Amino acid sequence: MVAEAPALSDVDARRLGQAERHDTLAARNARLAPGDEIVVRILRSEGGSVSEFRVPYQKWMRVLDVLNWIAENKAPDLAFRWFCGSKMCGTCGVRMNGREVLACWEAAEPVMTIEPLRNLPVIRDLVVDRSPYERKVASLEPWLERHEAYREFPEPLTHRQMQNASKALDCISCMCCYSACPVIGLGDLTDFAGPAPLVQLGQTALDPRNDPAKVARSLALTGIFNCVSCYKCEEVCPAAIPIVSRIIEPLKAKAAQLVPAMAKHSFALRDIVAARGRVDPGALVLRVQGLRALANMSRLIRLLVRRKINPLKTLLGIKTAAAQAAARILGKGISE
Amino acid sequence: MKTIDTDVVIVGGGAAGCYAALNLQRNGIKPLIVCKGLVGKSGASLFAGNLVISGRLLGNTEENARNTAEFLIKYHNQFLIDQDWARRCGQWIANTYYPKLEAAGLYFRRDDAGEVVTSPGKIRSVAANVQGNSGVPFMDLRRKQVIRAGIPRLEETVATALLHKSDGTVGGVFCLDIVTGETVVVAARAVILATGYSDRLHTRSTGTREMSGDGIAMAWRAGATLVNMEMQWWHTNDIAHPPSWQRMQVYPNPMLGSEKSARMVNAAGEEFFNQQRDDPLAFGPYTVQLKALARQVRAGKARYEGGYYAGFDHCDAAEVEAYTTYGKVWRQLGLRFPEQLVETAVTSHYRQGGIDVDTQTMRASVPGLYVAGGVGGHSNGLIALATYDGKVVADGVARDLPGLGAGALVGQEIEREARRLDSLRQSSGDGPTPGKVKERVRALMWDKVGVEKSEAGMRSALDEIEQIRLVLLPGMRIANTGKTANYEWLDAIDVVNMIDTCELIVHSSLERKESRGPFMRTDFPLTDNANWLTANVLKKSGNGLRFEQRKYDLPTFQPDFVTKDNLEVAW
Repeated sequence: MVAEAPALSDVDARRLGQAERHDTLAARNARLAPGDEIVVRILRSEGGSVSEFRVPYQKWMRVLDVLNWIAENKAPDLAFRWFCGSKMCGTCGVRMNGREVLACWEAAEPVMTIEPLRNLPVIRDLVVDRSPYERKVASLEPWLERHEAYREFPEPLTHRQMQNASKALDCISCMCCYSACPVIGLGDLTDFAGPAPLVQLGQTALDPRNDPAKVARSLALTGIFNCVSCYKCEEVCPAAIPIVSRIIEPLKAKAAQLVPAMAKHSFALRDIVAARGRVDPGALVLRVQGLRALANMSRLIRLLVRRKINPLKTLLGIKTAAAQAAARILGKGISE
Repeated sequence: MKTIDTDVVIVGGGAAGCYAALNLQRNGIKPLIVCKGLVGKSGASLFAGNLVISGRLLGNTEENARNTAEFLIKYHNQFLIDQDWARRCGQWIANTYYPKLEAAGLYFRRDDAGEVVTSPGKIRSVAANVQGNSGVPFMDLRRKQVIRAGIPRLEETVATALLHKSDGTVGGVFCLDIVTGETVVVAARAVILATGYSDRLHTRSTGTREMSGDGIAMAWRAGATLVNMEMQWWHTNDIAHPPSWQRMQVYPNPMLGSEKSARMVNAAGEEFFNQQRDDPLAFGPYTVQLKALARQVRAGKARYEGGYYAGFDHCDAAEVEAYTTYGKVWRQLGLRFPEQLVETAVTSHYRQGGIDVDTQTMRASVPGLYVAGGVGGHSNGLIALATYDGKVVADGVARDLPGLGAGALVGQEIEREARRLDSLRQSSGDGPTPGKVKERVRALMWDKVGVEKSEAGMRSALDEIEQIRLVLLPGMRIANTGKTANYEWLDAIDVVNMIDTCELIVHSSLERKESRGPFMRTDFPLTDNANWLTANVLKKSGNGLRFEQRKYDLPTFQPDFVTKDNLEVAW
């Protein structure tokens, strides 16, 4: 009952690489046959040791089935969290072979190394402490505050108005994206709320029924412009939410509109490109940091030596040939 | 050991528990939620696929409204329901439930023109965002409402015993924080049990991991009367493989925006059930499917464990997936959707019966103890019904609270429970692990108290339960005696509740000498309205138990036969 690999022309552009490697869901479900032996290494919390297990493959086994088999037959003291087993509760996220997966959803692989999610404290074995995430979400107050009183059911609303919020509503807060996010991995270096809290916020902040003043207050706490749009979150999301394109980017646009000070860097970058047809790092530093940039002289000198900045060009405001085209293109884009 | 004082402690963080907490708080009464999982992320409420429309909402006709009520009474409850409660509940759903949910922000799926998308047919429904996944945004909203209201939560915390005040009334719960291993006593003026419909007592069970019949077992020990414990509901087409997907259903309900729904095919490739053709009034056709499957099993064309198939191969993918999540299972398994069918099996689902309550106040038979939602014995099967209970219990408790004292808890009881838990953690017998005993209990229920039961099988089940209680429980062995996130310890606590609840279920099943809806006895195949159109009431007496029958009032809907072969009865 295994489907053939689809023709590349039928494949979603983002999955082309996977398709070329024949890493399709059909292939992932066909690597093992009942009776095959799976080698599983699990990072345990006691002394950071790794336990190795050999598990007999059963039809369509998920990572969670492997963990359950181990707990039932080999290591009853293995700690891992799960509730629903069907991609709804979002509590069984782990890292398997270096990528974040929902244990109940991901097909078992012939050789698996399983570790707890990153960016959250480990309680025991694969159980992480969700409370840093929970506190972040609560601080964003991700709920609806209506600017107009609710009248009656059903209220006027279209799916078109809800199309991004609707994607965010698929979120099961499994923390896979939170673990995969390299900016969250930087710890306290930024004030970035992280992909999962932003998706949670997006559920109501991208809902037209919400009060813009309330949305602005929440967005101001997100550090959203620290997101580098690397798409790691989208790649691992088991709910297939287009986190960057349908949640974070629309939220950034909203922040630029409602809390313009947050988007200073983005506005400066766009203005410079529009004016000169290229990114001028010197101008960017000057526009964003102003004279504060001088406080870090050694870095400035390094940038100078490596020719990352050219103060002469910056101060004279020299344009490249592309300036006209850039101004034309960017003039059409988001300008507020 | 920590002690927390509150006005009302609610055990359970699903639809009923959350709504009770929110309503109490609004009435100026201090609630606290104890949740074995995570509020809104564990429990059966999460699985709500879609939401049934009652009354005249969204263009419902008078006939639609009556069909919905008839469906609830017959197909969901086989007439074992308080029809007056059902009527009140239906009115509340139409007048309050939908507007309040939407006002709080729940997104009822619209089309691009702004119409709320419904399933057509005799009974209509809507979805929160996507059909098949409605419980996720629904319960996420409740979680956030609870957080926003500042209602305290003890999460990943199991309530292990009801505690009494010196006057004998229930006035608190003993709890264990599973993550830290610390014990907590919550003292309150009233306790609300809202532990849900499911209890995961069979090898294949719906619900979520943490369920183990705790609410039933604790209430029984405290002396509460139970009712219709034998009435077990089943899912007939849940995914057969892998085991962790045992509650993933190929939803047989009508689809949003389509005239079609899933079909079922036996091992010989013959279609044997399609809701649209076989019983359009069976909106959630689980019992009708089960009866159809029983015939296939008897004809050797299916097994309850699998060997039959379900899917949407008579539909277009775009039609199915316009408003549903149904294709995800196929895609994740690498199957072609919708061309292929997927193997399905039976899974034990909700317990229709449970703790006996006064449906005006949700009082149990023990003073100080209240019930909301699925763990009650008064109704079955919809997130709206569980939510309504949350409102009724909050009102009931608010009325009773002045008469419920804040006396001290019995200290001996607390010490005894602390010692019991401690000794379970130190289990060092030479027998199996608690996890293995759990599986053994589930297997015996599956084999001997499954879809089709008989006196001989159930007597043998009682013997096996007794053996497990006498031999296996005292001999359990735990590998790790630490306190932090020790799920073995939790299993050891759970399995005691499971054994007690299973025993009550088997006794109740032996007592009901007929077949009714999903309750099938091979030795009593007839539905017997002359003798069994009654509540099967189970009371504690001394160290034993006794049964009583209680007639239902049937003001609106009555069965139209006296006795009939259960497989020939539509519902």
